[in-house]
Amino acid sequence: MLKFWRNPEFVRHVRAELRPARAVTVAVVALFVCGLIWLSCWSFVQQDLENARNGLQRYGGEPWMARVAMLEKNIYHETWLLFFWWVFAIQGVMLTLWSLFACAQSVSGERDRKTWDFQRATSLTSSEFLAGKLIGEPILTYFLGLCLLPFTAIAGLVGGISLGGLVSAYLLMLGGSLFLGVCGLFLSTLVESGSRGITLLIGLAMYFMTAGAMGMTNSGFPGVAVFSPVSGIIGLYSPNEPAFRRSPTLFGQPVPWLLLSLVLWVTFGSWIVLMLVRNLKRDYEEIRPLSRWQAVGCAAFLNFVLYAMVNPARFGQAGSHELMSLMIGVNGLILFAMGLATLTPQERLRVWWRKRATGSVAMFSEDGLPWPWLALSAVTAYALIVWGTLAWDKALPFEMKSLERAAVQLLVVLVFITRDVLFLQWCKLTRMSRPVFKGLMYLCLYYAAAVVLIMLFGQASETNALRVLSLLTPVGAANPEAEGFRFPASLYVGIALQAGVIAAIVAAIGGRMNRRLLAVASGD
Amino acid sequence: MIELIDLRKEYDNLVAVQDLNLTIPQSEIFGLIGPNGAGKTTTIRMACGLLMPTLGKAVVDGVDVAREPERALRSIGYLSDFFAVYEDLKVWEYLDYFAHAYKVTESDIPGRVTEVIALVALEVKRDALIRGLSRGMKQRLGIARAIIHRPKVLLLDEPASGLDPKARLELRNLLRSLRDGGTTILISSHILTELEGFCTSIGIMEKGRMVRSGRIEEVTAAEHLARDMRISWMGDSTAAIEAKLAGHAYVANVQLGAGSGTFQFAGSEDEMAGLLAELVGAGVRVKGFAEVKQTVEDLYMKLSKHEVM
Repeated sequence: MLKFWRNPEFVRHVRAELRPARAVTVAVVALFVCGLIWLSCWSFVQQDLENARNGLQRYGGEPWMARVAMLEKNIYHETWLLFFWWVFAIQGVMLTLWSLFACAQSVSGERDRKTWDFQRATSLTSSEFLAGKLIGEPILTYFLGLCLLPFTAIAGLVGGISLGGLVSAYLLMLGGSLFLGVCGLFLSTLVESGSRGITLLIGLAMYFMTAGAMGMTNSGFPGVAVFSPVSGIIGLYSPNEPAFRRSPTLFGQPVPWLLLSLVLWVTFGSWIVLMLVRNLKRDYEEIRPLSRWQAVGCAAFLNFVLYAMVNPARFGQAGSHELMSLMIGVNGLILFAMGLATLTPQERLRVWWRKRATGSVAMFSEDGLPWPWLALSAVTAYALIVWGTLAWDKALPFEMKSLERAAVQLLVVLVFITRDVLFLQWCKLTRMSRPVFKGLMYLCLYYAAAVVLIMLFGQASETNALRVLSLLTPVGAANPEAEGFRFPASLYVGIALQAGVIAAIVAAIGGRMNRRLLAVASGD
Repeated sequence: MIELIDLRKEYDNLVAVQDLNLTIPQSEIFGLIGPNGAGKTTTIRMACGLLMPTLGKAVVDGVDVAREPERALRSIGYLSDFFAVYEDLKVWEYLDYFAHAYKVTESDIPGRVTEVIALVALEVKRDALIRGLSRGMKQRLGIARAIIHRPKVLLLDEPASGLDPKARLELRNLLRSLRDGGTTILISSHILTELEGFCTSIGIMEKGRMVRSGRIEEVTAAEHLARDMRISWMGDSTAAIEAKLAGHAYVANVQLGAGSGTFQFAGSEDEMAGLLAELVGAGVRVKGFAEVKQTVEDLYMKLSKHEVM
């Protein structure tokens, strides 16, 4: 791969966005803003000192005296420290937010400008484009961050922050912005041209989800909190904050916030990079984020990471029971995402269908229907649930019946997810515009209708509502009273009903596949 | 140089390109003609790796485009009917970017950029921002981009649409000089006069299929197409000429006026000479007797079924 500073895509962005006049303007603005912030901080600390003096005059006493003495002694230290935090926060928000949004409009923007085909027709590889765009798209913000760096570095050191702490903080900021940049770039490959509004909304949701991950510090998976760079920074500088007193754990062993942040960003980022490298140069219609085997691997990886990050102390007395149910729910989301990532484009499925009719391809095929792979992912997930349960056995003792119960629950989830994914696959075969998006909307409508029905039946009796719940949604599997394989009959009827629906959808897909092609039909 | 083997592309419930087989040797200018929707653009996009074929493959300069796209693309220059450019770059920066993107040897790039800028007559705009260029200039810059890496193969999809007559003439001359330098060119158009005079081969596409392809003379010969002939004479010999032509086995569509006329002749060169001798022998004072050259348009009109998907 080309060195990134000689990467043509990176050089193009530098040339276009950092022309001397603009670069000087940015540097001057940065200097000016720093000056303003410093004056504000100085004024704030002076005001604080003034308030403390007034407090001492009015109320007297030891605390006020100590406060005044501390502020008088450390007035410059406090000012610089406050200045550091302000500028650092501005840098952090700017870098992460801009990195995400600039990258999120990268490929879709090229499609809008109709320049994307010309880029794809060059000899640059997907990896080279990825590197060039990832650093190049938000180059102006990186430059602005670089302009502010000397000020924050000096302010931090004068303010009493160690050099190591400073480097760690910037490492977190850079890691976070690169991770969000990769996510943004992936998003930009998925949205069609002219979808800036959707990109903006999804981008904002991604940003707030990442930033909000810090709220997971007290959950059963505290490690998830490190997705937010803020967690790492608080962990570094304010380890006495109640939520951050305990380090996150990996396999029960405490791990520093910074290290776990980097580990998770690199591992999760690697999956997204893999998806990008596979798809970046592909035509929009041919994008398939992961191959089928990669999807199974990704599902296994996500299960493995979640088990590694479990905090057993956060689960109650029925610990393993609760953990398994949670993991089944999470696996529902994982399976659905995997199904979405591996939907087969119509033309590929048609070729597979024809070959299938002659018996020359297997069911487990890259271009076939997704359901065998969903089943394989579910089996892998169940194997990992068993492994995870055994691994946490000492902290969260379990009974064999829990594993039986989990098997039924996962089967229910698998059946419903298979139905929904096959429905989306069918949507892809119709002539709808944005078929997957519309398919998702139809699924939302279905589940909304199911909720209304459940509420209606709930008016008559709770038992009826539970029956409808089991028939129409996978939520019935979360029945807390079920033990081993002993679930209400309605659950098994629900499985049979959904299996019938799956068969109907497969038949509908077959009907689409067996239609004669227009040009062939009239041409021959 | 360009080989399309059983190339097929399906969209939804239609076949855009149907099992296309085509070989274009080096230094040919191959005109791909057909109505809008015939599958020309899809064919070109598959040939340069922008679109994956449903079945079959495209081989350029011996490299399978789908299997080794980056290697194949070093030999391919691609130009489409739209000339989108990066408005915030300077002319030389734009070409420098693409030279690097096509992995031209670093030391050759400055010289090549200057050379190509001169070739498309943009020397005075070398340091100008692209956003300040006129539409015609941007189109010329697009052409420069397509040839910056000295491609062995040029794939041009309706390249002259939107060009003014002078720019079209310049584009033709440029393509001729590239062909003389050994470049193989595949050019598509539905405006037949665009291809007139400089294509060495043609392929007529309809409904995703190649109706006919080959060198223009070969296509004409293979179809046993009647040649259009023009005759002119002195004096009042119209009746004698009409009598001779009407009785001739290879002659059809005779239209005679005062002193000149046209007819179609389906015989060989020898038989044509024999007809001329017969006319002279019958006392006709023949002033002119010549074949009217077939244009690409004539060929298309004769071979096409005018079907659109």
